Amino acid sequence: MNTNLKISNVTKIYPGCVANDNISLEFISGKIYALLGENGAGKSTLVKILSGVIIPDEGKIYLNENNLKLNSPLDAKKNDIGMVFQHFNLFETLSVFENLIIDSDEQRESVREKIDAIMKKYNFSIDLDIPVLNLSAGQKQKVEIIRCLIRSPKVLIMDEPTSVLTEQETSELFLSLKKFSDEGILIIYITHKLKEVMQLCDEVAVMRRGKLVSVSEIKNENIESLANKMVGQNLKTIKKKKAKTSSDQLIKITNLNFTSEDPFETNLMDINFSVNRGECLGIAGISGNGQSELFQVLSGEIISEKNSIEFNNNYIGDLSPQERREYLMAFSPEDRLEQAAIPQMKIFENVALNNFKSSNFFNNGLINENKIKEHSKKIISDFNVNTDNVELKSQFLSGGNLQKLIIGRELITSPDLLICFNPTWGLDVGAINYIHETLIKINEQNKSIILISTDTDELLKLSDKISVIHKGKLSKIMNSEEVTSEKLGILMGGAN
Amino acid sequence: MIKIVKRDQPSRAIFFFTPVLAIILTLVAGGLIFFILGFKPFEALKFFFIVPIADKYGFSELLLKATPLCLIAIGLSFCFKSNNWNIGAEGQLTFGAIVSGGVALLFYEQEGFYILPTVILAGAIGGMLYASIPAILKTYFNTNEILVSLMLVYVSKLILDYLVVGPWSNPEGFNFPETRQFSDSAKLPLLFEGLRIHAGIFLALAAVVISWFVFYKTYLGFQMKVSGFSLKTAKYAGYKGKKMIILVFLISGACAGLAGVGEITGPIGQLHREISPDYGFTAIIVAFLGRLHPVGIIFASLVVAITYLGAETAQIFMQIPKYTGQVFQGMILFFLLASDYLLFFKIKFIGLKK
Repeated sequence: MNTNLKISNVTKIYPGCVANDNISLEFISGKIYALLGENGAGKSTLVKILSGVIIPDEGKIYLNENNLKLNSPLDAKKNDIGMVFQHFNLFETLSVFENLIIDSDEQRESVREKIDAIMKKYNFSIDLDIPVLNLSAGQKQKVEIIRCLIRSPKVLIMDEPTSVLTEQETSELFLSLKKFSDEGILIIYITHKLKEVMQLCDEVAVMRRGKLVSVSEIKNENIESLANKMVGQNLKTIKKKKAKTSSDQLIKITNLNFTSEDPFETNLMDINFSVNRGECLGIAGISGNGQSELFQVLSGEIISEKNSIEFNNNYIGDLSPQERREYLMAFSPEDRLEQAAIPQMKIFENVALNNFKSSNFFNNGLINENKIKEHSKKIISDFNVNTDNVELKSQFLSGGNLQKLIIGRELITSPDLLICFNPTWGLDVGAINYIHETLIKINEQNKSIILISTDTDELLKLSDKISVIHKGKLSKIMNSEEVTSEKLGILMGGAN
Repeated sequence: MIKIVKRDQPSRAIFFFTPVLAIILTLVAGGLIFFILGFKPFEALKFFFIVPIADKYGFSELLLKATPLCLIAIGLSFCFKSNNWNIGAEGQLTFGAIVSGGVALLFYEQEGFYILPTVILAGAIGGMLYASIPAILKTYFNTNEILVSLMLVYVSKLILDYLVVGPWSNPEGFNFPETRQFSDSAKLPLLFEGLRIHAGIFLALAAVVISWFVFYKTYLGFQMKVSGFSLKTAKYAGYKGKKMIILVFLISGACAGLAGVGEITGPIGQLHREISPDYGFTAIIVAFLGRLHPVGIIFASLVVAITYLGAETAQIFMQIPKYTGQVFQGMILFFLLASDYLLFFKIKFIGLKK
């Protein structure tokens, strides 16, 4: 029998924003459905409603004509709706098997038999008795999927499942999903990645600002048409002009090592690379492979040996971030809300975080508020931050505007080198485009960039040279023309 | 039906309203406790909160008790604002008192204008020295400053005990555990004839003004604010974290030390075992009740000072144990923490559905 899941007139209103505005959708098993939209479009809210995490203000959900009352995640489970979230909900120190039986009330032996059968059927090979922390991201996701499959769900919802996977793991996942679909499980696939939609899905529903924009069959769509529906405007495609390669070396990292006392951090081993003026070096990798540590070592949050970093003919490995700024380096960390900026503080106060000597933000230990505000206004207008009030608390800026403010704050000193870590993480397409254009412009002005990113497309678009970080080690540095995302994927997975 | 809704942003009005709400709830709960104990609640509350400050003398006593509380709380707010948890102000107060008391005893039966400033300075230095211990251990050995500063309180009290019983005890004092009386030049001048309020209050007021200036007008204040919100951001901005930790501990220790000086060179005039009724601990409540804001701390120190006075009055007139004062201090903190819930959530009353 076909499974039929119907969402009827669902509305969910948050203070100041309508997350889901009268959404009606119908899904029938046998097809794979994509739910496409930018961050903040309302996909996650809709999915959370389907999985019982959020209760809608209005509207009903029907599964095979039965009106479902989903007041908690448990209700969703009872009604055969399975859900794999973007962030894994696994206990790292428990074994795979313990994680799988944690919410089960069946006999351990019978569950084990069930799991073995599932693994055999779908060709999963995971050791059930090792702790989850020893698994790769792809394997962890399989554990989550198995946890759903144990309950033989009618509906399986996948929320942005590929953000932590390599290219190879992604294709494996797609194969499994197609198999599930053939067996009659209704698959709903949530993403903002257009390529994946084209590759995997049969039908696509596009959401924008809480509204359902369109429902269509994939064969009638292409990447451009979907992108325009998702963003609501025609996007120009950005293309980086081939930079004239200079041989003027700006920064050189030699035999850099970092050993952490924290078992949850990654040690960096024997890092060597150099960047020339006007060049963008991309560093790819799956998150958690030492990117954060590498960023901190480069920014000076972690001090290293003096001679390990040579910048503009100065050895600066032992300098603090503030001292490195005086040598014209700039930094944009990954975490906008907890590191790069303080949401509870006003815009101009956040601007003052980049306190370089010539700024005169602080004279004789006193705050020069007028100077900071004047400077902030310049950043706001130069970098298109959507406000004119420098006294506004930064928490009221959208992610994109906050990132523009941060990048603007770092670039206003016209630094020779910008080091940025996932600069477009979680931003909407418009803001991503703006940031990408800005980064290209920097290179054109003969300034350099080190771009640490987990977004392979971004790296291929912006970098002149690319290296991959895996378990704290850098691969050899490649010219970006010779690199494909498949090749990066293999390196990201740790193979040579 | 009642529904709890998360606030989009903490409201500024609520930020200053919750301390008031905490005080009101404390009064209500206090009345209830009195009632259960068999006292008339309104009468007991009157003796607790109104009678003690109804005359000039009472008001002077209020300021006398509020002075050390305010001074210490101002110092603590430097630490708390920058994410450093100095719980040992009582120890810094005691050690400041020991050092300044020692200096005052050196000038026994001597007169001179230079004596009092020296004694005051010695107290501040004593407090700073004592506060530097948890600060240095934290910055260079990664110890937990909460534990270290707290444990040092008991060390300082034992040192004081040893000194007033042993080497510093008054030779003519019939073995009472106390030192000689300080000379008049080593004492803070009284402000009014017949009242105990002394010049120490000016130290507290100066601390209020200076701290306001530092918090809101200086680079140090800005760095403290950033570190208070996010240590990661402070590190990213390149602030010298260790230097700042030591600095705020020194400031905090100096304030506590000065409060100690105020006690022994003010009303007491000598060192003995009980120089502080736990002002150093109570000041933690004052700092938070005042929202770590200099002006807020002034009001908070007055409110909390009443609980000290009220406890004494209530004991004298109604035979209510004076430890009720501590119960009230505890309740204020308890209700403050509880009502801080309202900073992030609001309660909506909605009609019954179905």
